[in-house]
This record gives sequence, C-alpha cells and structure tokens, in this order.
Amino acid sequence: MIPLFTLLFSLSAAAAPADTACLQCHGSMPGRLGAPVEEWKQSVHAANGISCHDCHGGDPTDPANAMSPDRGFLGKPEPTAVPDFCGRCHVGVADDYKGSLHGKALGAGGPNCVTCHGNHAVQRASLAIIDEQRCGACHAPDRAMKIKAALQATDDRIGSLEAALEPLHRQAFDVEDMKGELFQARNDFHRLFHTVQVSRVEAGAGKVGEKLDAVQASIDGVHAEIARRHRWGGVVVGLFVLMGLLGVALRRSLHAEE
Amino acid sequence: MTTLARKAVDWLDERVGIREAFRENATEYRVPRNINVFYSLGTVLLVLFGLQFLTGILLLAHYVPHPDQAFDSVKRIVNEVPYGWLARNLHAVGSNLAIVVLLLHMLSVIFMGSYKKPRELTWLSGFILFNLGLALCLTGYLLPWSQLSFWATTVSTEAAGSVPVIGEYLVRIARGAPTVGGATLGRFFALHVVVLPLGLLAIIGAHLMLVRRIGISRPPFGKPGEVVKKGVHEDHPDGIPFFPNYVAEEIAVVSFVLAGLFAIAVFSPEVFIPADALEPADPFNTPAHIKPEWYFLWAYQTLKIMPTEFIGLAVQGAFMTFLALLPFVDRKAERHPFRRPLFLSLFVGIIALFIGISVWGHYS
Repeated sequence: MIPLFTLLFSLSAAAAPADTACLQCHGSMPGRLGAPVEEWKQSVHAANGISCHDCHGGDPTDPANAMSPDRGFLGKPEPTAVPDFCGRCHVGVADDYKGSLHGKALGAGGPNCVTCHGNHAVQRASLAIIDEQRCGACHAPDRAMKIKAALQATDDRIGSLEAALEPLHRQAFDVEDMKGELFQARNDFHRLFHTVQVSRVEAGAGKVGEKLDAVQASIDGVHAEIARRHRWGGVVVGLFVLMGLLGVALRRSLHAEE
Repeated sequence: MTTLARKAVDWLDERVGIREAFRENATEYRVPRNINVFYSLGTVLLVLFGLQFLTGILLLAHYVPHPDQAFDSVKRIVNEVPYGWLARNLHAVGSNLAIVVLLLHMLSVIFMGSYKKPRELTWLSGFILFNLGLALCLTGYLLPWSQLSFWATTVSTEAAGSVPVIGEYLVRIARGAPTVGGATLGRFFALHVVVLPLGLLAIIGAHLMLVRRIGISRPPFGKPGEVVKKGVHEDHPDGIPFFPNYVAEEIAVVSFVLAGLFAIAVFSPEVFIPADALEPADPFNTPAHIKPEWYFLWAYQTLKIMPTEFIGLAVQGAFMTFLALLPFVDRKAERHPFRRPLFLSLFVGIIALFIGISVWGHYS
C-alpha cells in the first residue's frame, strides 16, 4: 500500500502551459522582432499572465493565422492611439490621463503611456517612475519632485500595509477583503498620478488615506486576535507543562516507595 | 469521593463489577519493574488519535466536501467558526505529531525486540495501524482542496499508473474520473471520515486486546524481573502497579506531548501548513515544486533515484513487506540490542539511510 501512496510525489510539477504562437515565433527571431519577448518575460504583465495577444490581439493558438486581422490582430498602435490601446484594461487611469495636461497634449508632443512606463518591459507602477531625468525632459525638475513628495507618504503606507498583510495570510487569516480594499486604494492612488496636478494629488491622497486607515484598523484587529490566541495558548501550554511536571514528581515519589 | 459519586460507582459496581475491573486492570495489574518511558508512547497515540477524532468531528460539522465549496468552507472554519482555527490547527499539527509518535513507538519496539514471539500479531496489527495513519494523512490532505491538496493528489494518484498491467485501472479507481475532481474528493472524504477511522478503531481494539491478553513485554535493559506464564499471558508478579505508578509516567509524557502540540498549533501552525495549502486549488496553475510531507520524503527520493518508477515501487514494497514480516524473519530469542551486533548495525544504518534520503529529497 505504501508505495502506491508514496509514489505520489515522484513526478515533479508539470510544465507551465505551452508557449503561445507569438512567443514561439518571435522568441526565436533576432533583433527588434525577438527583443520584445525577452523584455515581456521580465514584465508585470508576464507575471500576471497577460500575454502578447491580450494587447495585440490575433490567434495565439494558430501560428499560420496568429497575425491575421480576421483573428483580431491589432499590431503596433500609432503613438496617439496608445492611451486607448492600454486603456482597454486600465480604464480609470486612461480617463485620468486624458483629462490631464499630458493627455491634452497628446499628438502635440505630449507623452503617452509608454513614454513613462515603457512598453514590453512594463513594470508595476511606483513612485520611482517620477524622477528628474524622465520628467525633467519636459518640465522644470521641481514640479515633478513636488508631486512625488505629495505622493511619497501614501505610497510608503500602501507598501507597508501590503507587507503587513502577507504574514497574516501565511497564518491562514482571511485577508481577501483587506487586500481588496488596499487594491482599490492603490488604484485610486495610481489614478492620482495621472492628473499631474499637485493640488488634486494632495486632496486625493487624503481620501486614499481614509481607506488606508480602515485597512490599518482591520489589521490591528487581527493582531489583537493573534495576541489573544497567544495569551490563552500560552496559558494552556503552561498548564500542560505543569501537569507533566506533577506527573514526573508523582512517578518519582512512587518510585521511591517501590 | 462525594456521596453522590460513591453512589454512582456503587450502582455501576453492582451491575458491571466496575471495582473488580479497575482492580484487575489497574491497581493489581503489574507491569515490569524495569519498564521505561517508551512504553508510554502507545497511550500517547491513543490520546492523539482521540484528539484527531474530536477535532475531526468539529471540522466535519462545517466542512463541505464539494470542489466549489471545500476551500471556502475550510476558510470559514478558520476565520469565522468560534475556535475553528484551533480545531483545524490541532487536527493538522496533530496528524504530523501522530506520525512522529507512531514512528517512535515502532522504532522503540524494534530496538527492544518487543516484536518477537509471542507478540508477532501485536506487531502486525501495529504495522497496519501505522499504514492506516499514513492513509488517513494522505486522504485528509486532499480535503481542504488547496493547491497543495490538488496537485499532491494528482501526482499521487498518477503514481499508481506505473504498476504494470492494471496501472491505469488503479488510477481510475483512485480518482473516480480521468482527472482529480469532485469524484476524487468524494471518495477521499468517505475514506477519511468513515472507512479509515472505522478500520483504525477496529485495529486499535485488536492491538490493545493483544497487548492485554499477552501482557507487556519485559524491556531487555535493567534488572530483569520475574515472568510467570499464565496461559498465553506473561505476568510480572514483582512488577509495579500499572495504577498509579506507571499511569503517573504516562500522564507526564502525554502532558508534555500535548504541551508541544498546543504550542505548535497556537504559535507556529505554519510549520505543518505550507503556503500552498492556503491557496485554492487551480487545475490550470501547477505550483513550481511539489514536495511531499516529511514522512513521505524518503519514498519520494527513492523513486527519483531508481531507474524506473516501477523499480522504486518494488523496492519500497519489498522494504515494507520485510518490516511487516520482521517477527517472522527475526526469530532468535535474544532481545538485547547490544548482544545483537548485526541487528544494531542494520537498525542504526537504516535509520541513517532514511534520514539521509529524506534530507536529500527535501533539498533536491
């Protein structure tokens, strides 16, 4: 019987799902046609299972027709079409961008999404993206730094709350609601980035802060519960140890009489 | 004793002779004078199995054995049901601790040669209990329907396929379908909460009956006491009373084990609840590395280093068969390990080999 159970783990984990037609062909190509594959592999999109066809369309299961317009292939968008291209998924951010001075300058030298975020190697957005070199290409450096300063405290707080949730999840606490609230707060916060107006950023950061307060209160509640468990658990463990010691003492006294 | 309690005992005594039974099985029941702490491991196991039954019943009240609801029901137990987290942690940690104590119990019996004639059947029933314990762990693993549950069971059931001729049939029987799914969960649930516990209870009963009927074996160490045969029973007239003398020692050992169990369950349950056990099963997302529980690592690595899985299975089968039939293979009367150099070498060597292979499996 044992061998039948225990072969259990003889096979290591199955391979990841097969590469799509896009990755198979472009992955073997040199130069600019192959480079996006390696860039994408390091991206936040790859980490979340967003593949070539999710943005560029086409049929990833059929190499012959993968790039057929009949299968929805979109190819590379024009620079002015990039916000709508990305905005199919990043809806709120696209709206904020379009309403901002950046969005209004689209087609007249203003930046689109990839100007700041890059394209295939796109990473999870963070404040690191706001730097003097990138923003200073068009603006006076102090303007970018003012916005960054207004965002920094909230960004740090979101980061620390995310870090605080992980150990709670590891202890089997249900943190899905808290994660959802934090996700929403993060989204609201990221939308602020794209307004590129210091006053709106400061006002918006305040509202995001209220949501973060609620998450913090939930985390504090879980920590209080953990402390309660540890307190009573410690008492129970102590009682068992005491009972064990009494058993040892009784055994020794009886042994002396034997 | 209060008057009411005395009256209750009197009432029972008149009908079932409770005082006589207690005298015969406790105060006048003598165990060897040189009995040692390892003899208490059977009682520890009884307590641990009892706790598994109790916590299992508490979990059963809220668990839903359906692929769409199993994971959420466990999440609810841990997060919403009062003290559900404690029941779940005690159950998960307790199962591991039970395997540790089962192994210690078996190793101490082997080391002291207690499996030898006339206790062959006691050994065999204990060996079956060990296997039932492993089967309970394996079937219980699937029930939370986590990533770990799903993929460990997928691979374990796949393993049966390497048996020649009937392999595919065995896989189908184990899963109830071509792939792990609702049918698998249903049959593992039935095995875990009905079939295996009933089997465990029955074999525990047989094991205890054999222990009591034949008598406790005299340890091969220390000053040997007198042994008087009464039929098949070995009596120890110069031994110590089971109650209260040895019961005090058992209370001490059980208390320390329970202290350890509660300490892990309350302060560090993650030691026995891996991260993949906290994610819902996803048939389309295979975790990077599936590693078995620590007590299956030796088997896992054995299969990996053998030329084929079938050879690996055969080696494991041969070893387990040898272990089951140990009293019938090793029939010499000598029980002191230091007067059995070949036995002692094999005992130490095989344990070292198992630990080495398990560590290798862990890091491979």
